[in-house]
Amino acid sequence: MSLLAQLQLSDSAFPGGLYTLSHGLEAYVQAGPVDVAALLEDVLLHAAGPGDATALVLVHRAVREDDWDTVVAVDQRLHAIKLNRELRAAATRTGNQVLRTAATVFATPELFRLMELVGTGATPGNHAVVLGTAYAGLGVPEDGAVTGDLYAFAASWVSSAVRLRRLDFRQAQATLYGAAPAIERAAAAALAARDPLDLYAATPIADTMSCAHERAPARLFTT
Amino acid sequence: MHQHPHPPVDTGLTTALDHVFKVGVGGPVGSGKTALIEALVPILLERGHGVGVITNDIYTQEDADHVRRTLDGVLDPARIMGVETGSCPHTAVRDDPSMNLAAGAELVERFVDIDTLLYESGGDNLTLTFSPLLADVYVFVLDTGEGDKMPRKRGPGITDSDLLVINKIDIAPYVRADLEVMARDADRVREGRPVILTDALRGTGLPEVADFITSRRRACSPSA
Repeated sequence: MSLLAQLQLSDSAFPGGLYTLSHGLEAYVQAGPVDVAALLEDVLLHAAGPGDATALVLVHRAVREDDWDTVVAVDQRLHAIKLNRELRAAATRTGNQVLRTAATVFATPELFRLMELVGTGATPGNHAVVLGTAYAGLGVPEDGAVTGDLYAFAASWVSSAVRLRRLDFRQAQATLYGAAPAIERAAAAALAARDPLDLYAATPIADTMSCAHERAPARLFTT
Repeated sequence: MHQHPHPPVDTGLTTALDHVFKVGVGGPVGSGKTALIEALVPILLERGHGVGVITNDIYTQEDADHVRRTLDGVLDPARIMGVETGSCPHTAVRDDPSMNLAAGAELVERFVDIDTLLYESGGDNLTLTFSPLLADVYVFVLDTGEGDKMPRKRGPGITDSDLLVINKIDIAPYVRADLEVMARDADRVREGRPVILTDALRGTGLPEVADFITSRRRACSPSA
C-alpha cells in the first residue's frame, strides 16, 4: 500500500502545480544553447540532492521520531538556501498545494500536524518537506522516498525541456534514463545527511540565471 | 505507522477561498474574454461586490497588464494577478488548478473584502472547461469573427458551459457572420442553456451577463 501511495504522490498527475516549473532550465534556454542532460546532472548533484532531497530525508526521520522542532528547522533552512524569490515562492506554493491535497486524500495525522504548523506561520511548508512528512506518515521507506522524489524531479525537468523545444520525446526518455546514476548519487548523499546544517545548494550560475528569469519579459514557466 | 487508506473526509481544510464566488471565463484567443471581464468589473463593483481578477497567460503577463491599464482608477492593480500557466490552459484551470487556487488564496488573504473572483483562462479553442474546485460558474466566450459555424462545432466549452457569450456582435456584418444562425445553433446545441449576445466594448448585453452571474451567486451560496 505504501508503494502505491508513493507512486500516486510522485506522479506528475498529482495536483501541485509542478507543470509550471522548469527548475531553472528556462533561463538557460533563454540565454542560449544548453546541454540539458549535463545541466540536469549538475542540478541533481549540487542543488536538488543536497537541498530538497536532503530536506526530505531529514524530515522523514524527524516525523518518524515525532520531532517537529527538527521538521521546522529543516523547512526554514531549506527556505533560506533557496536564494531567489521565485524559487522560494515556487517551493512553498507547490508545497502548500500538495499538502492540502495530500491531507484530504491520505488524511494522516502527520500531514494534519504539518498543516497546523504551516497554517500558523511557524514553518513555510516547502514541497520537499511536505513530501517527507507524507511519505513518513504513509510508511514509505526513506530510501525509496528520496529516490522516487529525485526521479520525479528529473522527469519534470525533461518534460519542461520538451515544452521548451530542447528535447524531443525520445531524447527526453533517454535523458531521463541517463540521469539514473546522478539520481542514485544524489539520493545516497541525501541519505547520509544527519543534521539540518547538512542542507545546502551550490549553484551560483543557476542562481544568477534565476535572478534574470524573475525579470524576463516573456516566460513559459514560473521558475 | 499509518498504512491503511482513508476515504476523503471533511478535514476542516476549508479556507477563505472556498467562501468566495468564483467565475471562470474561457474561450478562444481573441474572442473578448479580457474585454468581457474589464466591462463586468465596474458593474460588479457598482452592485457592491469586492472583486479580484486572475488571468492565465501562457507566456507573459500581457492580459493582467491590460486589465490593470483598462481598470486604472476603477480597481486597485494589486487585485489583479497574472498566472503564467507554463502549458496549455487546460492543465492550469482543469487538470491541475493548484496554481490558480494559490493565486486566489493569496488575493483573498490580502483583500478580505473580496467576495467575487474572476478567473480568465488562457485562450483555447473549443474544449476548455474549468475544474469545479476552481470555478463555481463557467462562462465560455465565442465571437462572431470566428465564423457563424462555431456553435455547430460543439465542444464542451460551447455545449456545457453555464453561460455562452457570443461577443463582437457589432462586427458580424463585416465578417459575414449571420447572428441569427449563430444564436439559433447555439440554442440548439446547448439544449436551452443560456446564451447572451454581447458587444463588450460598447456594453451591449453586459447587464444581462452580470444578472446571470448574480443569479448564479444566489444559487451557489444562499447566504450571499
